[in-house]
Amino acid sequence: MKVERLMRGLARGLALLGGAVLLMLVAMICVSVAGNALARLGVAGFGPVRAGYELVELAVAFVVFAFLPLAQLDRAHATVEVFAARLPARANALLTRFWTLGMALAMVLIAWRLGAGTLAKARSGETTFLLALPIWWAYAACTGAAGVAALVSAWDALRWRA
Amino acid sequence: MSALALGIASFPLLLALIFARAPIGLAMFAVGAVGLTLVTGSPAMVLARLKTESFSTFSSYSLAVIPMFLLMGQFATRGGMSRTLFRAAGAWVGHWRGGLAMAAIVASAGFGAICGSSLATAATMGQVALPELRRAGYAGGFSVATLAAGGTLGILIPPSVVLVIYAILTETNIAHLFLAALLPGLLAALGYGVVIALYVRRYPEAATVMPARGNRGRATLALWPVAAIFALVVGGIWGGWFTPTEGAAIGAAGTGLMAWAGGGLDRAGLTEALLETARATAMIFFILLGAALYNGFLAYARVPQEMSAFVAGLGLGPFMVLGLILLFYLALGCVMDSLSMILLTIPIFWPLVSGLDFGLGAADTAVWFGVLVLIVVEVGLVTPPVGMNLFVITSLDRETPASAAYGPVLWFVASDMVRVLLLLAFPGIVLFLL
Repeated sequence: MKVERLMRGLARGLALLGGAVLLMLVAMICVSVAGNALARLGVAGFGPVRAGYELVELAVAFVVFAFLPLAQLDRAHATVEVFAARLPARANALLTRFWTLGMALAMVLIAWRLGAGTLAKARSGETTFLLALPIWWAYAACTGAAGVAALVSAWDALRWRA
Repeated sequence: MSALALGIASFPLLLALIFARAPIGLAMFAVGAVGLTLVTGSPAMVLARLKTESFSTFSSYSLAVIPMFLLMGQFATRGGMSRTLFRAAGAWVGHWRGGLAMAAIVASAGFGAICGSSLATAATMGQVALPELRRAGYAGGFSVATLAAGGTLGILIPPSVVLVIYAILTETNIAHLFLAALLPGLLAALGYGVVIALYVRRYPEAATVMPARGNRGRATLALWPVAAIFALVVGGIWGGWFTPTEGAAIGAAGTGLMAWAGGGLDRAGLTEALLETARATAMIFFILLGAALYNGFLAYARVPQEMSAFVAGLGLGPFMVLGLILLFYLALGCVMDSLSMILLTIPIFWPLVSGLDFGLGAADTAVWFGVLVLIVVEVGLVTPPVGMNLFVITSLDRETPASAAYGPVLWFVASDMVRVLLLLAFPGIVLFLL
């Protein structure tokens, strides 16, 4: 029970963190559009947020990864239920276990490979085009979130054994 | 087994997994990964791709429009505008026979102008309009069918999350797609209104006649926030003042302010809006990732090219092929949701359709096909056995089983079919604004 609360708290907390980043992106874009409009009206000293495009690209990846654990725990992923609904309850329970296990494997695979990708980007020293930010920073943040997704999904799959 | 044979065999396998209740994104991810491993002879390529593929799929400026439109929809549902819309529409047409049902359709169309999702529109309008319809003595099944059909206007009338996905998959201009969908969306609302008028003539006991209600001018003026947000967001995207992502951010901010001013966005409301956005976003992007891998496999196996060549070799007319594709969507829509269908099939169907000659330019064909697909996939939301909109609405009214709505729903679907035929015959309805 304690573990369940921890996992749910982790998924919810990370989703809210991603949501906060999304709200910040919304605010930044609004400021940028307003600044751009003022600049076009000839008001001196205003302009769009520099490289806002790049910031959106980097941040939105983290936002999505941060949303994944919650979607898994709350069974938010799209499925087709019509045919399975006709199967007996035991078969359905088996299917649920099987697919949560599959989801866990996929999440672990994704987190592992993203971690490898982070190391590769850190070694290559690749930076973003306009702001010259090291790309591996964004990769590392995403790997953290993907790691939580893998952890939560693995717990979700294994708890059925009890 | 050749790569091509594997690619072709993968599609029925994928459907089998999905019908066995695999999460759709996971099924595409797994079939794509295994397929790529088989055709390249080792897992090395998949493992190398996955180092960057998940990040690069999610890290997209144009895809950032999706969480922002979803957030906008969440705020819109908490903004209280659904009641204002229903009241204003009721003031104009509420006193006709079946008028309250028509008001629900008009209000749904209005809500669709600030919400890009069908389920959110159905759920929000349902909460407001269903109790009033039932109180006024409207039949349960008819009321549910009306609101479920009204919900599809959320997607048909721009902004629309499904159109955004279609635009990204086919590299079509989102502004053009939004503009093109507007008239068909309004036609849909008109068609539903006609259906209601015909239905209550045939079954007078399904609806009542109410006295005229409310002050028209005042009720209509109260709609200004909805009108302002729609004009700013959709007008700004059409006018080229800002990108779709910027438009969605501004829309999210605008509906957020509206919800906050209306008292619907306290701490608990904001948390719930963010969590609901998180669930829907993760669901869509996980399918996008699975689709990226699966489509990588299909492309490697040259399935889209071979499919196009095969269909071209059959010697069917272009309209025959298009008709078959639309029928396929209608059938699949009976069991699958619209976004999943688009992500699953557009990468295969679009190369095929773009190779056909309808006497339109390539860009126009993309827009026209997109709007047609949008309409037919939405039909699946209101038809049994898994019309999601029907489920959402009936969950609000414990007295009416979903099956009571099956009959009336067919009336609305008939009007959808008429509209599809109309757009097939006259592509100009879609294209004349471009």
